[in-house]
Amino acid sequence: MAEESRTARLIEAVKAELPNLDFVLGYSRGFDALHATPISVRTGADADQLVFDPTCVENLATSLYGQSGKRIGIVVKGCDSRSIIELMQEKLIVRENLVIFGMPCRGVLDLAKVRVRADITQARGVAFGAEEVRLLLPDGERVLPRRDVLADKCLRCRYPNPLVADHMIGPEVERAGEEDSYADLMAFEKLTEQERFDFWKRQMSRCIRCYACRNACPLCVCKHVCLADSREPHWLSAEANLQEKWLFQVMHALHLAGRCTECGECQRSCPMGIPILLLKRKMNRELKELFNYEAGVDPEAVPPLHTFQMEEEKIKDRGQLW
Amino acid sequence: MRIGVMICHCGNNIAATVDVEAVAAAAREFPDVVFATDHMYACSDPGQKTLEQTIRDLKLDGVVVASCSPRMHEVTFRRAVERAGLNRYMFEMANIREHVAWISLDRKRNTEKATDLVRMAVEKLRHDRPLTPKSFDVQKRVLIVGGGVAGIQAALDCADGGLDVVLVERKASIGGLMSQFDKTFPTIDCSVCVLGPKMVDAGQNPRITLHALSEVDEVSGYVGNFEVKIKKHATYVDWSKCTGCGACQEKCPSKKVPDAFNENVSLTTAIGIPFPQAIPKRATINAAYCLKLTKGKCGACEKVCPTGAIAYDMTDEVVTEKVGAIIVATGIDLFDHRKCGEYGAGRYPDVVTSIAYERMLSASGPTAGHIKRPSDGREPKTVVFISCVGSRDRSLNRPYCSGFCCMYTAKQAILTRDHIPDSRAYVFYMDIRANGKGYEEFVRRAQEEYGVEYVRGRVAQIHPDPETGKLIVRGADTLLGRQVEVAADLVVLAVGAEASHGAPELAEKLRISYDAYGFFMESHPKLRPVETNTVGVFLAGACQGPKDIPASVAQASAAAGKVLGLLSKDKLESDPQIAQVAANRCIGCGKCERTCPFGAIRMRELRDGSKRAEVVETVCQGCGICSVTCPVRAIQLQNFTDSQLLAEVNALCRTWDETTES
Repeated sequence: MAEESRTARLIEAVKAELPNLDFVLGYSRGFDALHATPISVRTGADADQLVFDPTCVENLATSLYGQSGKRIGIVVKGCDSRSIIELMQEKLIVRENLVIFGMPCRGVLDLAKVRVRADITQARGVAFGAEEVRLLLPDGERVLPRRDVLADKCLRCRYPNPLVADHMIGPEVERAGEEDSYADLMAFEKLTEQERFDFWKRQMSRCIRCYACRNACPLCVCKHVCLADSREPHWLSAEANLQEKWLFQVMHALHLAGRCTECGECQRSCPMGIPILLLKRKMNRELKELFNYEAGVDPEAVPPLHTFQMEEEKIKDRGQLW
Repeated sequence: MRIGVMICHCGNNIAATVDVEAVAAAAREFPDVVFATDHMYACSDPGQKTLEQTIRDLKLDGVVVASCSPRMHEVTFRRAVERAGLNRYMFEMANIREHVAWISLDRKRNTEKATDLVRMAVEKLRHDRPLTPKSFDVQKRVLIVGGGVAGIQAALDCADGGLDVVLVERKASIGGLMSQFDKTFPTIDCSVCVLGPKMVDAGQNPRITLHALSEVDEVSGYVGNFEVKIKKHATYVDWSKCTGCGACQEKCPSKKVPDAFNENVSLTTAIGIPFPQAIPKRATINAAYCLKLTKGKCGACEKVCPTGAIAYDMTDEVVTEKVGAIIVATGIDLFDHRKCGEYGAGRYPDVVTSIAYERMLSASGPTAGHIKRPSDGREPKTVVFISCVGSRDRSLNRPYCSGFCCMYTAKQAILTRDHIPDSRAYVFYMDIRANGKGYEEFVRRAQEEYGVEYVRGRVAQIHPDPETGKLIVRGADTLLGRQVEVAADLVVLAVGAEASHGAPELAEKLRISYDAYGFFMESHPKLRPVETNTVGVFLAGACQGPKDIPASVAQASAAAGKVLGLLSKDKLESDPQIAQVAANRCIGCGKCERTCPFGAIRMRELRDGSKRAEVVETVCQGCGICSVTCPVRAIQLQNFTDSQLLAEVNALCRTWDETTES
């Protein structure tokens, strides 16, 4: 099968590069057929465990920042590669220390979507067809249309092929999504202010302040000096009330304005299923409209909020005098 | 901490709509506040004495005064606090006049808001730290932008006071609008005869460096240490060799070049000196019309130039000057009358602007001082002057009075009667504004001695009469309450002042503000009329608002006086309320370095190769952009830290919990 031969080529490429690297971040089979788990490959035996298929949901770029001086290999999907580019733009990682294994990707599973359609704890195996996902359950095979169980971000994916890679383990795939219409955001913004306020109050009240969203985010690079944990300045108190939870999410969204590549790790990792990506998508749409900028696409671009100029093209302070 | 609070009545300014006693009583309950009182005038001598005495008696650590805007009296109170032995930054001000008393009459809610503002100020003060200013050396040089009469006057005064002056002029010669005038009101003395010697002085003064045909490209630095990049446009003539002999101008075959100095009334050559009194008296090539530069052939000037000064391959050059202060004297432009359809929108050759008419009146002008109709060269016998063209006109977004048009119109009418004794002069006016020394008398002379006919009313339409070749000026005489029509040979439009083109861009380079019409904003309309809100940048002349020559010259000398005062000190103190990096928090991402508008942040490399941001204290202006950009809040503005702002917000929003269920 094509996927198997790609995995074999990936393993081969990783083995060839391994002598020059401290380790390679990739995916191995998880505790069942529907889960993949990150692995750091240091030996040839480790490399043999590598897999790549639609269960490889994690964005491994999250582990890159803070590994200064190490030479690292990393297996990336198209979406993950944008995180790497953004980290490079912000000079937080050094390109020379990276070897990127690019995996063109037709979308990853959203297990939450599978879960409502089948009892995944009973899954004995899974096979991926061009348009369907076949689950092997104790009572027989269950066929699910692929589009029904792919992650939302994959349905509107415009960068299925990694934008930066040293080894492209092809074949490259055609992009599935159209230009992002932000339909979800538009629908949400049609609600009244009170309805939106109530929505977020309801959602945020479920937050347990575990900070999984922060820890999963490839661009949350403050690590031990995160404002959520800081006493000086003391932005957040330890109280478990609504405004503290909400303030953190607003802070997270603002810190990612013009940086977020919408990899969706924050929302995927949220144990309470709070739709926090919506906040980031709102910021990104504003940035797109105001600065015509998309994060993590061009390694040479300067993010609009990381620079200063007197007069922005679309923000008219000067008015019309003559 | 022991905090004292003083609530000011400001006479009745605050006390009329704010219950100051109630605010003081509430303040006594705030944390760390050990004393709170109200006072009739906190800024008065007894007010300040009370403040100082209380600080000593009660051993206060910090003080909050709730009164007017800190723009008004922050410095006053900081000095008082310092006299009483406290650090002057252990002081906060709550603005309960402009922000409360003056904007609402609702006494109850005003009192509540004033209380909230005082609570916020107390919370901020509780997190304040004593700060110490640093001192730094100053450059004893001044940059003057604009070489009109204001710029020249300021340059001469500064040079006279012992400063080195860098004078930048956009055009090829200094002199500005005044050099284009024939005579000046109310004395009818020759304009360039009074200005000329000053221009020569400016050109010859060894302390003045003149950059003509140059523009300010970039300004960095701060008061005492500005670094200015000046773009010197290519003149295609080496001015160090040019003697101003004018041989090139005589031989130049490209003779159909609109003469900008003569308001395009006549034509000139592609190379030449703009006018006989020009300073520097050096030739410049107009690249758009030069045959050599456009078509590659000719070279006549190169052949005749006795000193070999012609340099066709010259390019723009950028020079850097270091100065301690800047005077902006960029003047004005005149309103473009082509926007006015009722006056023909520029279609009728015999409708001219007042400045073009000024050139016609001038003996050194295109008509050698003879008034001629541009259409047929005949001497006009009936001349109509229309005032307020592009002034006091809300429909054109020019609601302001340009101030000087009434006067120059009277002058031009007098000169018309002088030049052509058998002529008639009419002036259509709205009101006559002649409030200067000798001005009203001057207008009366025009009316009574010279028989200029003043018609109070607006002109509705000008249309040409094809049979007679005259212009029919139709308007209202509002004093007689009837329509009037004058068959004019020539119509002169008294065009008003507007901000110099490019003024907003220059303002942004200098970080000063400008109003809705592009005029630069002074720091205070009455008490700081030549200062801007950027320390070290001063205003002179009409760039601040329409002004006539005496007012421009007076303001130029005032600005020069301010600069001389400022630069008489060898060292200046920097404001310590600037950014500071907590190195243990900094992750070295460099975003602050990229966003800083002042270039005040450097990245420093540690021994392990990691990077940390570092603030150059004397360059930082305390704008706070780095602080909001820093993802880890490692950069904090001293005495405006996140914790302080949060404390203020919490003080304000302390009722949030009670009103919102969570």
